[in-house]
Amino acid sequence: MPTAGRRNRRTVVAMMALALGAIAYSLAASATTPFSATANAATALPIAAVTVLAIAHWPLRSRPGSQPAVVPEGVNARGHPLRAWIVLVAVVVGFELFEYLAPGSRGAHPTVSSMADAVDRSRGLKAVVFLAWLCLGVAIVCAGTPARAAGVSDETDR
Amino acid sequence: MTSALSYAVWGVLALVVAALWARSHQPDVSPARPAVVLQRLARGPVTRIALVVAWAWVGWHLFAR
Repeated sequence: MPTAGRRNRRTVVAMMALALGAIAYSLAASATTPFSATANAATALPIAAVTVLAIAHWPLRSRPGSQPAVVPEGVNARGHPLRAWIVLVAVVVGFELFEYLAPGSRGAHPTVSSMADAVDRSRGLKAVVFLAWLCLGVAIVCAGTPARAAGVSDETDR
Repeated sequence: MTSALSYAVWGVLALVVAALWARSHQPDVSPARPAVVLQRLARGPVTRIALVVAWAWVGWHLFAR
């Protein structure tokens, strides 16, 4: 089907343009200095974009059954599938707080922020971290957007 | 000595994240895949707001302050 093929090609071109744009934006953002107006603007723009996209694409109310199954059907999972992640996040947050509140220098008690500061000193690494943060924002919007087939009925919730 | 211990703990935690990530992609195991965890958070009425706010805060804290 030539129409479907052309549509697929257009989607691939659009995705590539989006990816290149995100890489270019990350490189430009990595050149900014924290606590400056340009850094504020470079960070605020994606935050505003993701917020607007989430408001535009996410249903106003989540429908019963719209939550994805955490384990595929037929899989005999032991324990709650989210338990390991919840415990891990709790341990990471707990250790971050312990390090943050521990007496002594930040060098002796590094936090995620202080380690990120070290990464940010390299422009290339900062661009990679910024790109990862942008990708996570896009993934969040996509994760909350209902599938196109379900989207028709979800519109009635608005 | 103190910083070495802290970095060691952070390193172990990073390894645990990687191991859990890898394990979640194996068939017939209990940890949910990260994409599914993200989808669950993004579709909960309260967690989706917390998720966007947390993402925005992380970006602001890391790149703008």
